[in-house]
Amino acid sequence: MRTYLSHLQSEITKTRAFAFKNWIMAKRNVFTLFEILFWPTVSFLSVGLLAEFVELQSSMKAFILVGVVAMSAVQVCQLDVAYSLLYDVWSKALKHGFIAPVGTRHMVYGSLFIGMVRGGAVFLILVGASYVIFDFNFLIPGAGAIVLFLMGLFLSATMVGILVSILVLTVGNRAEVAAWSLVSLMLLLCGIYYPVSILPKGIMTIAKLMPLTYFLEYYRAFYGFDPTFSHVLIKGYVMVVIYLFLEMYFMKAALRRAKRKGILLKLSE
Amino acid sequence: MDYAVEVKNLHKTFSSGLFRKRRKSALKGVDLMVPKGTIWGLLGPNGAGKTTLLSILSNLLTPEKGDVRVLGMDIRTHAKDICGRINLSSGHANFLWSMTVRENLEYYAMLYGLSGEKKRRKIENLLDLFRLQDFAKVRFEELSTGTKQKLSLSKALLNDPDLLFLDEPTVGLDPDVAHRIRDMIQHLHDDQGTTILITTHNMKEAEILCEKVTFIMDGRIRAKGTPRDLKKELHLGDTIHLAFQGALPIATLQNMEGIDHIEMKDSSCRIRVDNHRERLPQILDFFTAQRIIIHNINIQESDLEDVFITFTK
Repeated sequence: MRTYLSHLQSEITKTRAFAFKNWIMAKRNVFTLFEILFWPTVSFLSVGLLAEFVELQSSMKAFILVGVVAMSAVQVCQLDVAYSLLYDVWSKALKHGFIAPVGTRHMVYGSLFIGMVRGGAVFLILVGASYVIFDFNFLIPGAGAIVLFLMGLFLSATMVGILVSILVLTVGNRAEVAAWSLVSLMLLLCGIYYPVSILPKGIMTIAKLMPLTYFLEYYRAFYGFDPTFSHVLIKGYVMVVIYLFLEMYFMKAALRRAKRKGILLKLSE
Repeated sequence: MDYAVEVKNLHKTFSSGLFRKRRKSALKGVDLMVPKGTIWGLLGPNGAGKTTLLSILSNLLTPEKGDVRVLGMDIRTHAKDICGRINLSSGHANFLWSMTVRENLEYYAMLYGLSGEKKRRKIENLLDLFRLQDFAKVRFEELSTGTKQKLSLSKALLNDPDLLFLDEPTVGLDPDVAHRIRDMIQHLHDDQGTTILITTHNMKEAEILCEKVTFIMDGRIRAKGTPRDLKKELHLGDTIHLAFQGALPIATLQNMEGIDHIEMKDSSCRIRVDNHRERLPQILDFFTAQRIIIHNINIQESDLEDVFITFTK
């Protein structure tokens, strides 16, 4: 029992280490302020004002604002997961992290925690702004639905963040650009500004494979939009959990490959 | 004998290029046995394979072929167990730039599972040991090279490692700072009995710190032993400089036992001997017998630098 508790404490401490790193680095980095305030607000206001200008019905406005708010939260959260590796790459300190007895799980869980804090902050700011500026109540679906929606968003963000880390470990720091560009693909495929039903058939197949598509459909259903697909919440969660398991496996494989090919050392130089 | 590092027939090849693969052998059958509790030097020119070997031992690189055991455990099957008992400090230290010295130590302490009072006490001890208290709240990016290096060594001691890898620990440091760092390494070894495997380009440093050294070149071990053994093996000997007055019969002197070479210049000569302690009295006797007056004697012992130069020639 004592061994188990000490192991558990060690696991928590190692996970906390990554949360601590992301928190301190975010606190000291002026860009992170931009990430949670400037970019999401600019994006939100420009889309919201466009909706006002074209005199969209309030339901349509709801459709678009849900997409923009969700996207902003996902973007910030996934950045944190990706930053966990990228901070070490940028500071050329990667080898010090990987020589320690830690696993990829500690890195992902620790950084996800800060990602949820920062993504949650973006979500709250934009939900408040929606109410004040555009008279849109984001809280209509209720606490349970909001929690389920947010968890779906954060898990989707984790998926993207891990994918960025896999790419960096596989091809080197050239792949860091993925941290900012992968989310743009989601913007196109998951129906942020439009329902996925209008996508061409081939692309809709890809949209069907993206958990974020289902989480957006789930939340929009509370504002009167019938989902294109059935059992959206279950499908979204099942998919995201399967993807995360696969990604954790591939991340470990990418790390093993990086050690074999010397990429880990190159990333530390 | 217990070994901290056991390497047998280790090979490592790097390949690059997507379509036309270029392969470079970094290690070509390396054998290395480092007994527990020693300071062992790994010497060799740039690109010899020192860092590759150290990276494999610290689980940052996977061996391609051969057996690697660290602290009695196979690196392939017990990497996690090994990681908790080793640590690494490298020259040109790099850490998270926005974090202060204390925050960096806290972060790495947590990676080794230290928390609460234990973590706090460990960090305070290390800040004291390396005289880093005044820099505890200074960000890494604002530190001098010497202070960064001290932080790197502090970080390497967070988990009280049984085996410590030091990759050029004094590179780029001012001589006085390098001297202090060497003292700290020596104390660490003396006080805690930590096994230390050190790579360095500084032969004086290796001679001061290391009980034994291994020369590696082009991915192969060229020699190993104490600095004295290596000098002996290479017949490097010592050089005796003599300034004198009188006619020196060089041919007779050259025939004396233990004298390898004589170089004359005006009224002085450089005599290379196998061992100056044995040969100098004989030479002095010879000069006295020849009624040659000696004005000045200067002895230059060969050192690891000579060994290094001989190997890399």
